[in-house]
Amino acid sequence: MNNKNPTSSRREFLQHSTLAGLGLAGAGIPGISWAVRGDELHIRNYNEIVVLDPTFSISGAEGVIARAIYQNLLQIKNDGTWDTELDAAGYFEQLDDTHYAFRLKPGQIFNNGYGEMTADDVKFSFERMIDPDIKSINAPDMGPLSHVEVHGRYSGTIILHSPYGAFIAIGVAFGSGAIMSRKAVESVGGRFNIIPPCGSGPYFFKEWRAKRKPILERNPSWEGPEAAFSEIHIYPMTDAKSGEMAFEAGQLDCAEISVESVEPFETNPPPNSYLETHPGGRNFWLGMNMENPSLRDIRVRQAIQYGVDVEAILEAAWFGLAEPSTGPIPKGIVGHRPENLIPPEGDRDKARALLKEAGVELPLRLRLDVNSDALERTAVQVIQWSLKKIGVEIEIYAQDNNSFLNIGFEDKGDQWQDVQLFLQSFIGGPDPYYSIVWFISDQVGQWNWERFSNEEFDRLNALALATPDVAERDRMYQRMQDLMEESGAYRFITNGVMPYLVRKSIKPSFRPDGYPLLRGFHPAGRQG
Amino acid sequence: MLKFIAGRSLLSLLILMLAVSLLFFMIHMVPGDPSSVILGPKASPELKAELNARMGLDKPILIQLGNFYSGLARGDLGTDVFSERQVADVVFEQLPYTLALVIAAIGGASLLGIPPGCFSAVRQNSFLDRLTAIMSVAFIAIPSFVVALYLLLWLAVKLRWFPAMGAGEEGNYANQAWHLVLPAIALGLGWVGYIARLVRASMLEVMEENHIRTARAFGLPERTTIIHYALRIAILPTVTILGLGIGAMLSGALFAEIVFSRPGIGKLLHEAVITRNYPVVMDSVLVTTAFFVLSTLVSDIINAALDPRLREGRGQS
Repeated sequence: MNNKNPTSSRREFLQHSTLAGLGLAGAGIPGISWAVRGDELHIRNYNEIVVLDPTFSISGAEGVIARAIYQNLLQIKNDGTWDTELDAAGYFEQLDDTHYAFRLKPGQIFNNGYGEMTADDVKFSFERMIDPDIKSINAPDMGPLSHVEVHGRYSGTIILHSPYGAFIAIGVAFGSGAIMSRKAVESVGGRFNIIPPCGSGPYFFKEWRAKRKPILERNPSWEGPEAAFSEIHIYPMTDAKSGEMAFEAGQLDCAEISVESVEPFETNPPPNSYLETHPGGRNFWLGMNMENPSLRDIRVRQAIQYGVDVEAILEAAWFGLAEPSTGPIPKGIVGHRPENLIPPEGDRDKARALLKEAGVELPLRLRLDVNSDALERTAVQVIQWSLKKIGVEIEIYAQDNNSFLNIGFEDKGDQWQDVQLFLQSFIGGPDPYYSIVWFISDQVGQWNWERFSNEEFDRLNALALATPDVAERDRMYQRMQDLMEESGAYRFITNGVMPYLVRKSIKPSFRPDGYPLLRGFHPAGRQG
Repeated sequence: MLKFIAGRSLLSLLILMLAVSLLFFMIHMVPGDPSSVILGPKASPELKAELNARMGLDKPILIQLGNFYSGLARGDLGTDVFSERQVADVVFEQLPYTLALVIAAIGGASLLGIPPGCFSAVRQNSFLDRLTAIMSVAFIAIPSFVVALYLLLWLAVKLRWFPAMGAGEEGNYANQAWHLVLPAIALGLGWVGYIARLVRASMLEVMEENHIRTARAFGLPERTTIIHYALRIAILPTVTILGLGIGAMLSGALFAEIVFSRPGIGKLLHEAVITRNYPVVMDSVLVTTAFFVLSTLVSDIINAALDPRLREGRGQS
C-alpha cells in the first residue's frame, strides 16, 4: 500500500508544495506535457499560440507546433545535437560563401489541396521573409539573403549578398526557413495568423479555438515515415504546477515540471513514469549599467562579479540541477567557452579589495531590477545575500515581465539612467549569433542595458557572422565572451535546466536546449 | 415599473462608462507596451513605432479613450494586437465558458445555501441549525483557491473522479458539465455559507412579522406560511447579493480558470494585462463590468417585482 511506503511523505511534500505553488499561480516556467490516449498524444504547451505564419512567429510555443506541421529544406537532427539533416530537400549543398544549391524530394504534397511542393514555393517562402512590404520581424534571420533562383520544378539556388555564417542554422533549418505554399498563402491574402492554410509536415493543423487545445492530425499526404500518432492534442497551460497536477491525474503523460518538484518526483515518481532532465538554452546573467554613476568604475563592477556566488544561486534557485554558464552561448553551440574568467563561487576577499581600491564608501547601496517570477526572485535574494558580505546592500525591485522588459529602453523615457543591476535572461538558438547580437553597440538603449560598447566586440560580431569557417567562428565568439566578462558588466549565471516527467508509454524527443521535437515522439517500443 | 427600469438602466450605463474610463486610465498608467512582447527582441525601433502607431498608442491618452468610445458606438471593439482577430470574437468566444462557470457556481450555491438557511431559521438553535452555522462559517472562511487546489488534488489527482483540466469536448454537453463540477464548487462553496447565513437571518426577521403571525393564526399550513409568505420576503436581500455575487464571480473566476486550465474571460483578461494587449483588456473589462452592472440591475428589477414598495420608491421597511 502506498501509505506504508516510507517515501510517501515525500509525495505528500510534493503535493503540498504543488498546492502552495499553485496558490501563487502566475506565469509558469515554459513547459510541455504529453499524454497518450490510444493512438493520440495529448500535450501541454506552455503558452497559447498566436502566430503560426513564419514571418511573424516568435514564441517557442508556436515553434513546437510549426516543426510538426511544416517542412524546411533542412531540419535539426533528432539526436540531441544542433546538427542538421535533409528535410524537404533531397539534396542541399553550400557551393561557396554565398550560394546554396538545393533539390526538393519529388512528391511532397501540401495538404488542403495545394498540390506538390516546388522550388518556386521555396523561392516564395525565403523571399517573403525579406519582403519590405511584409515587414517580417524575422527578416534578420535571413541575414544578407538576396534571392532564390529557380532552375527547375524541384531545384534552385539560394543566393546571399555576402557570407552569413548563421544561414544554415537559423535561416534554413530553424523556424524562419519553413516552406509555405505560394498558392495557399496568396489565397489567404498573403499573410495569416493562427490557422495555416496548409502544411506539408508529418502532421497537419486540424483545429484551433482560442484558449483551448489546438489539434494536429496525422498528414495522410506525408511521404516520409508515418507520423507516430493519429492526433496530437495541445493544451495551452501557462502554469507548470497545473501541468504537474494534470500529469498526476493521468490526463497528460509527459510534463516539463518546475525545478523544485524534481527531487520529490525523482524519489517518488507517479506510476509508470520517469524523469528526464535536459540542460536549458536560456541565458541568465546579472547585468550592470556601466553608465550609471555608481557603476562607472570598472573596479566596482568587478567587485560585484567576484562578490556574487553563482554556485549558491544555483543551489537555491535551481536546486543544484543547473550548471554555471560560461557566457551567453550554451554547451553544444559554436563559441561555447569551457570556463569563465571569474570562478563560479567568486572571491569575496578580492571583491572587498577591489572596492577598497576604488575608494567606495561602504555600505554601497544599489538597486537590482528583476521580473517577478519565483525563480528569478529567489536568485536575486541570493545575490543580495552574497553582496551584503562584501558591503554592497541591494534593494530589489521586482516587477511584472512587461514592465521589466522596458527598463533599459531609451525610447521609454529616462528610466534607463536609474538602472544599476538587473537579472536578465534570453533564450538563444542554434547559432551563437542569436545569443550574442544583443550586446553590440547598436543595441545600447535597446536590449543592451549594460550599455556595453566595445569596438573589438562589434568588429568580431560582424566578422563571425560573415565567416563560414566554424573553427574561426568558435574562436571569435569565445573571445567576445571574454570581452564581455572583462568589462565587468556581466556575471554569467546559468543556462537553466528543463526537467520533464514522462510516461513510460512514450518515447519523447528533445532539442539540445530542452525544447521538444514532436516529430520524434513515438510510442515506447516503437523505433522513432 | 417601466419608469423604474428606465431610471435604473440609465444609472447603470453611467456606472459602466465611469468604471471603464477609470480602468482605461489605470491600465495605461502601468509601464510596458505590447510592441516589445508582440515583436520580440528582433524587432527594430521603426517596426515597434509603426505597430504602436497602428494600435493608436502614439496618440494622447484622451484621444485613445475617445477612439475607444467612438469605436464602441460603431460596434467596433477593435483588433487583438497579437492575433489581429476582432476583439469582439476573441472576448465573446471566451465569455460562454465563464458564464457557464459562474451560473453553475451561483446556481449551485443557491440550491445548497437557501434550504439549510431556511431550515436553520425555522428550527432555530437545533442541532442542525448549529451544524449549518459551523459549516457556513467554515465555507466562508476557507479561501476559494485553497478549496480549488484540494478538490483538484483529491478528486482529480488521487481519486480521478473528475478531470484536472480543460472545459470538456466541444459539443459534448455531458462532458462539459463534468469538467464544470470542480471549478464550480471551488468558486461557489464560499457563497453556500454566505447565502445560508443571509437567508437564515432574513427569515428570522420575517418570521417575527405580523403577517406571518396572522397567517399562522388563520391556520395556514406551516409549509405554505414559510415558503409562500416568509421566504418570498426573506429572499429579497439574497437576490440583491446574488446579483453582486455574479459580478464578483466573473472576476473571481480567474483563479478557477488558471488552476483548472479552463478557457474563460478571466484567463483572457489576465493574459491580456500581462502582455499589455490593451484592446482585449478594455473589451474584457467592458464586458465583465457590463455583466456586473446588468446583474445588479436585474436583481433590482426582481426585487422590485417581488416587493411593490421598492418600485414605488418607498423602500423596504
